[in-house]
Amino acid sequence: MRILIVDDSSTMRRIIGNVVQQLGVKKDDFDEAEDGVVAWKLLETNGQYDVILTDWNMPNMNGLELVKKVRAGGAHQKTPIVMITTEGGKGEVITALKAGVNNYIVKPFSADILKEKLDGLVKG
Amino acid sequence: MSMSQEEIEALMSGAGDLGGDDSSDAVEDAVEPIAETQTSEEEEVNIDDILAGIDGVVDDGSESSEKEEDNFDDILSSIEGMTNDQSEIQEESKNNSKETVESIEDLIDQSQYPMPVKNENKVVSQLNQVADDSEQKASQIFDVLSFVLDENNEISNYNKEMGEFIKSQEELLESLSTKFPNISIFSENLEKAKSLADSTAALAQKVDSENMKIFEAMELMQFHDINRQKIERVMAVIRKLNDYLNGIFEDDSDKPEVQIAKHISGDSNDIMEADDLESLISEFGKES
Repeated sequence: MRILIVDDSSTMRRIIGNVVQQLGVKKDDFDEAEDGVVAWKLLETNGQYDVILTDWNMPNMNGLELVKKVRAGGAHQKTPIVMITTEGGKGEVITALKAGVNNYIVKPFSADILKEKLDGLVKG
Repeated sequence: MSMSQEEIEALMSGAGDLGGDDSSDAVEDAVEPIAETQTSEEEEVNIDDILAGIDGVVDDGSESSEKEEDNFDDILSSIEGMTNDQSEIQEESKNNSKETVESIEDLIDQSQYPMPVKNENKVVSQLNQVADDSEQKASQIFDVLSFVLDENNEISNYNKEMGEFIKSQEELLESLSTKFPNISIFSENLEKAKSLADSTAALAQKVDSENMKIFEAMELMQFHDINRQKIERVMAVIRKLNDYLNGIFEDDSDKPEVQIAKHISGDSNDIMEADDLESLISEFGKES
């Protein structure tokens, strides 16, 4: 399973990376991007990803803009996206779901929660 | 300017000398001469008693000291500039405080007071630096945790190898002790191998639970990101407030800045009464 982790906090990217490694994903099988712009470049150049895990609040291009851009068309239009963010308001969750995210995790989260969500996406 | 650790240590040791047990010795040392003085005074009193007992001997020391005091005043008054006038001293301190107020006003005009507008005093810039430093340190903490996790994985691998070897030895010793029940060394070593197998299992369990704690710590480090975002929210509020205040205080007119009045009627300090004003004017009129 190839995963793209998008978060402006390097610590957060490492935490998520660590969790996905615990779930059996190898280090070579996930890429990291610090904002939506870098993520979009990776999506265009690095081929197919099975899941995109993205933060919301980021500089240059935020997570919501990235989701909208991915869903607008292209090779990754159908790629499952999980938003992992501190934005815990109902309004934000609805906005993200409307934009096309498949699942939503509010920080702080446990490894079990991410595992559960990823399992659901892979099986679904 | 921040202090180095060595400077802090030196400062701490200095403070320790003052506050330590030595201080009581120092106090005792200081008290000793006082005690000696007291004794000499007592001795003087005794001598006075003795002298009073002797006929014809009169102590006029008090008179002479009074005379000496008068002499001192005469001497001081004869020296130019040596006055004991309290009002002059008060006047001087008043002038000093006036100068201080004026210099503070200057500092405010130059945006230097209460703090100079330097990078280390800029709120948003400082908060930004705190967020960046915190991110850097969090990354370093993560490196340490990852290192411990990697080391634990190696320990687990070695432990697994040892466990497998002990298991094979256990099987070997089991078959040997069954075949040769009279040779006690086989059964003894079999017991030892079983005990070591238990130890390796316990070690594996300990490493696993330690790893779980490290994962827990890694998960808790998400709060660093959450706190960083809280700081960013505060920064955003300050930036917006700054824009708002700049907008609301902005002067669209091209009027040049006028000199402001320092003392206006109704102010509590340094306002001249009408009579004083008139007398001052007339005083100046006389001089001219």
